[in-house]
Amino acid sequence: MTKKKHSKVFLTVAPLYLFTLIFVLGPLLYMIGLSFATNNDSWGVTWKFTLENYKKIFEPVYLQSFAQSFQLAFFSTLLIMLIGYPFGYFMAKLSAKWKKRMMLLIMVPFWTSSLIRMYGWIIILQAKGVFNKLLMALGVIDEPLKILYSYPAVLIGMVYALVPFMMLAVYSSVEKMDWSLVEAARDLGASPMYAFLTVTLKLTLPGLLSGVILTFVPSMGLFFIADILGGNKIVLVGSLIQDQLTRGSNWPFAAALAVLLMVMTSLMMYLYRSITHVKDLEGIF
Amino acid sequence: MKRRTKLLGMLSVVLAAALISGCGEKKEDDSKELVLFTWEGMFPQEVLDGFEEETGVKVVYSNFDTDETMLEKLSQAKGGDYDVVIADDYIIEQAVGQDLVQKLDKAEIPNYKNINPLYQGQFYDPKDEYTVPYGAGIPLIVYDPEQVDFEIKGYADLWNEALKDKVALTANYRVINGITLLTMGKSMNEEDTAVIGEAGEKLLELAPNVRMIQDDNTQNALLNGEAAVAFLYTSQVTQALSENPDLKVVYPQEGLGFGIMSAFIPKDAPNAAAAHQFLNYILEPEKAAECFNYIGYYSTNKEADPLVNPNLVVPSDVTKGEIVQNVSAEADEAYNKNWTEFKAACD
Repeated sequence: MTKKKHSKVFLTVAPLYLFTLIFVLGPLLYMIGLSFATNNDSWGVTWKFTLENYKKIFEPVYLQSFAQSFQLAFFSTLLIMLIGYPFGYFMAKLSAKWKKRMMLLIMVPFWTSSLIRMYGWIIILQAKGVFNKLLMALGVIDEPLKILYSYPAVLIGMVYALVPFMMLAVYSSVEKMDWSLVEAARDLGASPMYAFLTVTLKLTLPGLLSGVILTFVPSMGLFFIADILGGNKIVLVGSLIQDQLTRGSNWPFAAALAVLLMVMTSLMMYLYRSITHVKDLEGIF
Repeated sequence: MKRRTKLLGMLSVVLAAALISGCGEKKEDDSKELVLFTWEGMFPQEVLDGFEEETGVKVVYSNFDTDETMLEKLSQAKGGDYDVVIADDYIIEQAVGQDLVQKLDKAEIPNYKNINPLYQGQFYDPKDEYTVPYGAGIPLIVYDPEQVDFEIKGYADLWNEALKDKVALTANYRVINGITLLTMGKSMNEEDTAVIGEAGEKLLELAPNVRMIQDDNTQNALLNGEAAVAFLYTSQVTQALSENPDLKVVYPQEGLGFGIMSAFIPKDAPNAAAAHQFLNYILEPEKAAECFNYIGYYSTNKEADPLVNPNLVVPSDVTKGEIVQNVSAEADEAYNKNWTEFKAACD
């Protein structure tokens, strides 16, 4: 009887397992296999084992793109933290009505494709764009600033695209917090700042860190922002992979790059877990 | 229920009628029909109608998405089924290699002489035996004379220090490597990795001048004032000029890099006679001009030049041109590396 029941449960879950096997594990194994294959002269690959693809990553040109990606992800995440944490913190202290409204305002941009929103930034940042016209009208500058197609433009785009994830992660963490602990600290003589640093910040650290993961990991891969707002001048690992898949038509090398990127981001997740001892990321619902 | 069967019966009658009439059509047409195989939207309807009026041969337009599909279908048909095919240069080389193309009977094409020799003798048909060119795509330099103090004459001028942070480029790694090689007096299809390496170093010197690199809508950077000079594809050049006629187009003195679309007749074309007639017809200056204006590619017909939109005519003093071809894997790898290094150096 129990055996029968068991098989029924299995039957209901089977499609999910099958789906995961075929569409997640399958491609993953294929990619890992591909990263050890040999690229053909004209088209396609030969299934002959080689470590060449991984060796190639250590050429300075390609290694530089990893450094470039890390640097951009680091600065983006730093800025996002500085903007997102206070925002999430104060949002959690709003009245229920305003919380809902704020939530809606954060969500609304997601109704438009992020690609289109990036093109919006082009219109704002370009030489004859809104931003420059405003600064010139205010007399701050005489000549339009060359912001578009520069590093700051890419940073603006990254922060803009990813800051909601930090806001929401921090928000959900602050909201869950037991405020009586802060009150207790204050009663025992802690200054507001000291209470914040020792109690609030510590308790919301998991939210902050999950926000960091949620922004750092995607920013390693969000190459289209660097392409659109940076004018293709910053070579990130993502754009390198895309180049190798399309123009360069070297799939094994692209696979090797992707595997390495994946290993690195998995390492980040592992670090997050071992620091916070939390199994799931906060702020994902 | 009953009504349904009735409906089905009626439907089958209609179907049968269609089938019968379809068969009948096929029987009579072999000499009265010409199957044209190319991309969608390659001919203005008036030109096709005109051909039917003049010769009584109906043009059946059959289209493919990519050059590769064309070659696959043509080799399945063993060089039959289609009478005239128009496709890109590199794929024609493969079609000729697979013995799917017949030699042209030039006596049947008196207008053959109208072809601009700039586009002849290319790698896919070195002896001009198989093909009639039908439009060329040429990436060119376009600049805003208000923002540039000197006259740009060739690719080498892109390296000029006065253009610091003012140049927009398309993102084709082979073409950008190619124009660098042209400034060094080498071929766009250089195979020697040492020479390609030198080109890579030269490219790095261009980096400070680059404002942006992009394949789509590159002309916008020029139009909205982000860049003063742009290296653009044909369709982008046309669009840029239509929005700002004051822009200047440069036909680089080092020579052009282009892609050519050409027409050929398959080996076992069912109606080769009509195919020759058709090629002759589209080589007539008036018809050719109509076609080039319609597809928006550069005129490959010398006699049609005066009749075509002047933006689609290469000046007669430009006599050198080269097509980017496939190179060996080592060379391609070197080009790729140059490209990645160049992009990284641009910021």
